[in-house]
Amino acid sequence: MNLKSLLGLNCDEAATACSKAQYKETSLREKLKLRLHLFFCKPCKEYSKKNQKLSLLIKKAKIQTCSEVEKEAYRQRMNNAGSHASKR
Amino acid sequence: MAENSIDPEKWVDRYADYLFNYTIVRVNDREVANDIVSETFLAGLNSMKNFKGEATERTWLISILKRKIIDHYRRINSNKGQAEVKMNFPDSENEGEWLEEKVLDPSHRNAEDQMENQELGLAILKCMEQLNEKQARIFKMKTIEGLDTETICNELNISPSNLWVIIHRARTTLAQCLEKNWF
Repeated sequence: MNLKSLLGLNCDEAATACSKAQYKETSLREKLKLRLHLFFCKPCKEYSKKNQKLSLLIKKAKIQTCSEVEKEAYRQRMNNAGSHASKR
Repeated sequence: MAENSIDPEKWVDRYADYLFNYTIVRVNDREVANDIVSETFLAGLNSMKNFKGEATERTWLISILKRKIIDHYRRINSNKGQAEVKMNFPDSENEGEWLEEKVLDPSHRNAEDQMENQELGLAILKCMEQLNEKQARIFKMKTIEGLDTETICNELNISPSNLWVIIHRARTTLAQCLEKNWF
């Protein structure tokens, strides 16, 4: 066991906690442990910064995607067209 | 063999979100956007022989999509008869007849921002194509559709810790992909 994991989290666990934090799904306990880990671990701190930036960009972009149902409708239309194509 | 190959079976999985997002910000109506995207795929199917492999599949599909969007606007304009543009040019004596004309259109101020955000959205969707199918699906459910962890785990039959590992990998890939232009 190294020093970092003695502090509460190892780097893998910190990465998971960091991702959870992007979706506001960390418990208070996890939050504190993560803070502590980030204080001592520079690479994880860097990663955490990038992760936050990514969240910000995603929020800003207001992406709209189509649902599985809509995609299925596209596939259906393509299949129908494919089977009629030979008759045209 | 051509540099870029074409594979219509994968089009919906690979490009539907990208094309949809491109369209919805331009037509602002879900149903219309769906129509235009599926027409684009159909037109792609019908003119596959014209695909020279010089551009990527996506670029090629987008060029079809752009024409479909223009067609859409032509159609709704001809339905109305003539497209009408009314303009009152303000002069020094008369600064426009209507109060509205004296007020700056607030949407102008945001136009640049909006354009940048659209570009950003497309960049993110393009980067998402680097994820494998499972990562992309889970990332999309969690981040864009905003589903909660439990729902996703139940639907896909995975454990929460499994989900978080996948999310972590997806986010790492995306951050790397976007880093050059957007960080």
